[in-house]
Amino acid sequence: MRLLDWIVLVVSLVFVIGYGLWRSRSTSTTEQYLLAGREMPWYAMALSIMATQASAITFISTTGQAYADGMRFLQMYLGLPLAMILISMTAVPIFHRARVYTAYEYLEQRFDVKTRTLVSIVFLIQRGLGAGVALYAPAIVLTVIFGWPDYMTTAIMGVLVVLYTTLGGIRAVTWTDFQQMIIMMIGLVAALLTAIWLMPPEVSFLDAVKTAGVAGRLNALVTTFSWSDQYNLFSGLIGGMFLSLAYFGCDQSQVQRYLTGRSIAQSRLSLLFNAVAKLPMQFLILFTGAMVFVFYIHVQPPLIFHPGEMKKVEQRADAAQLQQRYDQAWKARRAAVGRDDAAFLQAQSDIDTVRKQTGATNDTNFIFLTFVTHYLPAGLVGLVMASIFAAAMSTISAEVNSLATVSVIDIYKRHFAQNASDNHYLWASRAFTALWGVYAVFAAGFGRSLGSLIEAVNMVGSFFYGSLLGAFILAFYVPRVGANAAFLAILAGEAAVVTVHFTWKISFLWYNVVGALAVVAAGLLLSFVLPKTPTATPAT
Amino acid sequence: MLNNVPDDPPPFLGSWRRIYIVVVVYLCAFIGLLALFTRSFRP
Repeated sequence: MRLLDWIVLVVSLVFVIGYGLWRSRSTSTTEQYLLAGREMPWYAMALSIMATQASAITFISTTGQAYADGMRFLQMYLGLPLAMILISMTAVPIFHRARVYTAYEYLEQRFDVKTRTLVSIVFLIQRGLGAGVALYAPAIVLTVIFGWPDYMTTAIMGVLVVLYTTLGGIRAVTWTDFQQMIIMMIGLVAALLTAIWLMPPEVSFLDAVKTAGVAGRLNALVTTFSWSDQYNLFSGLIGGMFLSLAYFGCDQSQVQRYLTGRSIAQSRLSLLFNAVAKLPMQFLILFTGAMVFVFYIHVQPPLIFHPGEMKKVEQRADAAQLQQRYDQAWKARRAAVGRDDAAFLQAQSDIDTVRKQTGATNDTNFIFLTFVTHYLPAGLVGLVMASIFAAAMSTISAEVNSLATVSVIDIYKRHFAQNASDNHYLWASRAFTALWGVYAVFAAGFGRSLGSLIEAVNMVGSFFYGSLLGAFILAFYVPRVGANAAFLAILAGEAAVVTVHFTWKISFLWYNVVGALAVVAAGLLLSFVLPKTPTATPAT
Repeated sequence: MLNNVPDDPPPFLGSWRRIYIVVVVYLCAFIGLLALFTRSFRP
């Protein structure tokens, strides 16, 4: 990073956070702190929803994934527009009219307090695990690339997030998300244009795209079906739709975005904006990765992008031989590009073989940042770094804010302090926000032992989302199901997902479908033996 | 207990149903373009 890059990074962060705090300066009630007084316009919510979902690892890892494996990952989002329509039709008007602070508060109105509490606790566990990972995951990448100690990166991001989230509440979170999303898109476009601009003069944009196609990197749509294949049209449309329904309809970190809307119409517009904009955005991210791949056909990349892993490879007895084979394969690939597709693909296969033989761990998370730090001009590196910080902070701030909201509304206020003043709950909200922020920093600090836990965290999400979705499907669409049936159905849904996990090798995306359908089926069956009882007026 | 919060029409196209249809049509068109893109640059 050069001086100009640091200036761009610092100025971007200061401006974004300062703007967010300025917009939240009149926060003085719990409703303003947690729901922005229900006054947000659609465009602020829309970009906040998008920024919350696009974490730093999405930014870093997705481009790397396209480099290594192509654009298939895009299909995971194909079901998102359908999910947004369904949420706009049902959850948005129901939550608005119920005047709830959290999605789980509605479950007590529909079922009972134990269902609400069960789902709230599941959310706190799931999001709590995710908060540490969201902070740590980009830190390890920045550590490897820049040599910054990971505690420094997590501390800087964590302190900034705790500062503006605690002081400004959801208004600060939403308006900083708004700015951060703009920065992210500018950084991404800058990286893409630079990759294209840096190609040799004799390589046109169309040549570059054709080359990516020959190498199989433009495999955006896969129409063959397989249960175990994560990314194809069918798993994307169906499994992806269920995942999006669960995430945007039942996860408080997203639900709280559109609960701040000044009207049902504004909340719907924010979701439908994402229905339309998310797919092109993901296409852009993945296409950038594909163009970085083509760039590295003409400019030789390192054998392994992870500097630490590369050092280990260099200490192998056969290091020189591996490097020589790699150099030869890279030269052969460059010579064959645009002339002999068969020779090109053979050389690509040789490159993949040599890389696999190094025994190095997966380095896809380091590809994009290696390109950025080595080839982007001064200033743009700082902008892309600002984008990555922005992506991380937008996700973490939404998580911390939603964790605090559920802690205060669904647990503290509901069970421990039912009749306190609004000022009491406002200060409790600030305290819980700070506590969850500090927790996220500490959880990230244990990141070294999180290595395998990152995968475990993803599995936890997949395990629980389906059941959460099933609970809300019962709540919205199956009036005959009562509280006890719903509670037991949620547990049955979890049991079904665990059973499928240990007996059937299917993609994680399908767990959401399994969980949701199991809960609905169990709820319907149980409703015949556990009659619905009248719901009492909730305490909140 | 649900409060009486008005359900305003969208700022364009006149009804939410029409907007949902447009989104579905958009998705179909996007998938179609993706198919064309993939097929055009397939090895």
